[in-house]
Amino acid sequence: MIKFDGVSKRYLGGEEALSNISFEIAKGEMAFITGHSGAGKSTLLKLILAIEKPSAGQLIANGVNISRIKARHIPKHRQKIGTVFQDHQLLSDRSVFHNVALPLEICGYQPLEAARRVRAALDKVGLLNKERSFPESLSGGEQQRVGIARAVVNRPSIILADEPTGNLDPELSGEVMKVFEQFKSVGVCILVASHDTGLIQRLSYRTLVLDEGRLAEDRRPGANS
Amino acid sequence: MSRRQQTRPRASSTHKPSSLSRWAQEHRSVAKTSLWRILKTPASSLMTSFVIAVSLLLPALLLGLNSNLAVVLSGFQNSAQITVYLEQGLPESSAIVVSDNLLTRADIINTRYISAEQALRDFGTASGLGQLSEELTENPLPAAIVITPQDPTPESVEALAQQLEEIPEATLVQVDSRWLQRLQAISDLVSIIGQILTLIVVLGLFFIVGNTIKLAIENRKDEIRVIKLVGGSNLFIARPFLYAGLFFGLAGGICASGLQAVVLLTFNSSLAELMLLYESSFELAGFGIINVLLLIFAGAVIGWSAAFLASFRHIRAINP
Repeated sequence: MIKFDGVSKRYLGGEEALSNISFEIAKGEMAFITGHSGAGKSTLLKLILAIEKPSAGQLIANGVNISRIKARHIPKHRQKIGTVFQDHQLLSDRSVFHNVALPLEICGYQPLEAARRVRAALDKVGLLNKERSFPESLSGGEQQRVGIARAVVNRPSIILADEPTGNLDPELSGEVMKVFEQFKSVGVCILVASHDTGLIQRLSYRTLVLDEGRLAEDRRPGANS
Repeated sequence: MSRRQQTRPRASSTHKPSSLSRWAQEHRSVAKTSLWRILKTPASSLMTSFVIAVSLLLPALLLGLNSNLAVVLSGFQNSAQITVYLEQGLPESSAIVVSDNLLTRADIINTRYISAEQALRDFGTASGLGQLSEELTENPLPAAIVITPQDPTPESVEALAQQLEEIPEATLVQVDSRWLQRLQAISDLVSIIGQILTLIVVLGLFFIVGNTIKLAIENRKDEIRVIKLVGGSNLFIARPFLYAGLFFGLAGGICASGLQAVVLLTFNSSLAELMLLYESSFELAGFGIINVLLLIFAGAVIGWSAAFLASFRHIRAINP
């Protein structure tokens, strides 16, 4: 589903954010990416979303070669990926309901079908009673969960999550992970960038450790770590 | 959180209806949102519409005036006349012979003889100096023959006039259509100025609407970035801005027709006074419903196209 093959990313300043990264995540697999801030986690997610293009190597996500993707095909590519952003990226002038409905609106869903899906997604993150609220009136954790609902509402084939549990207490973090696991069980490929070592250890999923742009470790559950 | 385990998520689904009514519904909702955003800033929206209206008004008036002039000219086009002034003191009988001889020519359809006495009487009534003309001991005016040529085109009228100068009894041949030619030239000039002005105004409108749209996009930069992140295409993002351009153009066109009506009503009432003095009832025409619709349509087309050019350029420049 996601295949990095010797991928490097060098920004214009000359600093290398990622160097020679190779790994593969299969359909229905869930993996964590961890590492200090600045280790390249965000760059890696940006590459998958085609926000940035690799400087070298080949990256294939969802059957799309990111190095060669044409600008007009990028929206279609992103529609199939559900992304949870660290800073939520919610629209402040839209209600929670309409924020979550945005991906469906883009894809042209019928209002009734869209409403049904939006409520199902909000129900999964426990925010069904907040659908009329506006993002600014919500707590950080609630905004985070709105972002998660928006990421899963269109039933994507890949879910990328950048610190999805950053603002959540352990109990809510566990709930969010359960939502991800549900999607994993139906074949969605999930990549979670996280600092939360406690959570990572508790869940024992495959973990990719980045260190200064290099893939330092690829821990798989079951293997000794 | 999810206590309803029976609704299990499915991987990417293909359930995406796309019918015509769905499309129309989508556009209706985008149009509504766009209109609502415009109405949220009434002062600046009104200003933009007014600027568009004034810009549209200038060429509209000029071109309208010119089409009126063309109507007037075409009315006169078939009435080219040549006046042949006869020798002073030529007996009326020989003058009538000259007139009848001319009428036998194939290139002349009508002749009208005006005797010297008739000319004096006409002058008296037309100038209001009847008293004076009665007091004249001798008639200073010559007799004349007014000729309507077969072919009213300027070239053949001119050629005929030259031939008429050969008549021995003629002292002066005057082509009455020369002033028409001058008027025609003025009309052509007005038309060219109108076209150039239209071009300049359209360019200006593209700039005005483009700038308004650019500012609107600038204000929604963060939103556009988020929409791009979740897979919105440039077209999806541009749609509300295209509607905004369309609405500004429509409002400008409607406003311009209103202003045009005010200008015309004012102008026509003073024109009517003037025409009363000339015992004529000429009125500016051609500013009817078709012209109003055309003006509004032009506004809408220009607004939409300007928004189209501006939005895609600026939206493309925004990257997540």
